[in-house]
Amino acid sequence: MLTQDQKEALQEIANIGMGQAGASIAEVLDHFVLLSIPRILFLQPEDIAGALLLTVGEENVSAVRQAFHSSMRGEAIVIFGEQRCNDLADLMGYEKDLDHAAELELLLDISNILVGACLSGIAEQLRENIGFSAPSLMADHMSVQHLFSVKDISWHNALLVEVNFRLEQRSFACHLVILLAETEIAAMAKAIDRFLDSMQ
Amino acid sequence: MAYLPFKPIFHTYIRTFMPVSVLVVDDSPMARKMLIRALPPTWDIEVSQAGSGIEALAMYRTGKVDVIFLDLTMPEMDGYQVLETLRKEDLNCLVIVVSADIQPKAQERVLGLGAIAFIKKPVDAQKVEAVLRQYGILVNT
Repeated sequence: MLTQDQKEALQEIANIGMGQAGASIAEVLDHFVLLSIPRILFLQPEDIAGALLLTVGEENVSAVRQAFHSSMRGEAIVIFGEQRCNDLADLMGYEKDLDHAAELELLLDISNILVGACLSGIAEQLRENIGFSAPSLMADHMSVQHLFSVKDISWHNALLVEVNFRLEQRSFACHLVILLAETEIAAMAKAIDRFLDSMQ
Repeated sequence: MAYLPFKPIFHTYIRTFMPVSVLVVDDSPMARKMLIRALPPTWDIEVSQAGSGIEALAMYRTGKVDVIFLDLTMPEMDGYQVLETLRKEDLNCLVIVVSADIQPKAQERVLGLGAIAFIKKPVDAQKVEAVLRQYGILVNT
């Protein structure tokens, strides 16, 4: 799918995007964010849930999706753990007992910040213009296993880039997943090749 | 207390025109390549590379490393742990942290742990040169 060089380049490019997203969210939440090493996987749709289960865990999640389009199209998904809402509301200085609609609003806002910063960072490295759809709620208190309904997915292979954000002193954590269908991977490979050529 | 960055060893090297021994530490081979490309072409150096914090410490302990470019986010032993260990072992080289983690607090922490400078990724060659000149590591070349 990608050569070793292309994969290494993407890993580093994702790392830079993650760093920018981490800094944005650290500023909003006024807490130090712990970053992990981005994971890059090639998967069949039925394996996505299992891959996410490894990092997200068994707990119920809420998730926000946002489509992006540059020379390739894909989906960015931010997955929040169970504890996320109370914690987030608290971090943002809201009163306790945020109503459900306000909670969801908050998740959309945080997702938008993370996705915007991370993908803009990646696009900038690849010298791509990038646009985003508005964030929308994909799941609310649902097992990560049911996040992707395999029968709705028409493609056979996907590129998954996953980065995790965790706060140092709080339980809040979220996962940003970038998914590219197989038809888009060729465009990604081309963009990475241009990046690699510019380094010669 | 922050460490005093100047070490007499550098003046010796510069006077005798021996190449400076540079160690580039990053788990990503691509990141190491990008950094090495951003080093001043006129700088007389011998570059070695380490793919992990553990490997970096082993190379440092040979006593032949003058300048370390250190990544923060690495598996097993991250850059913070490398800095802490170096400090325990009497930090006998200059460490410049190179990281995509651009949180102001990350910069504060590494400077507090004895790094002389923080350079953000993607690495800007001019910034690298400015830092090297600022600390007298690179002179009039």
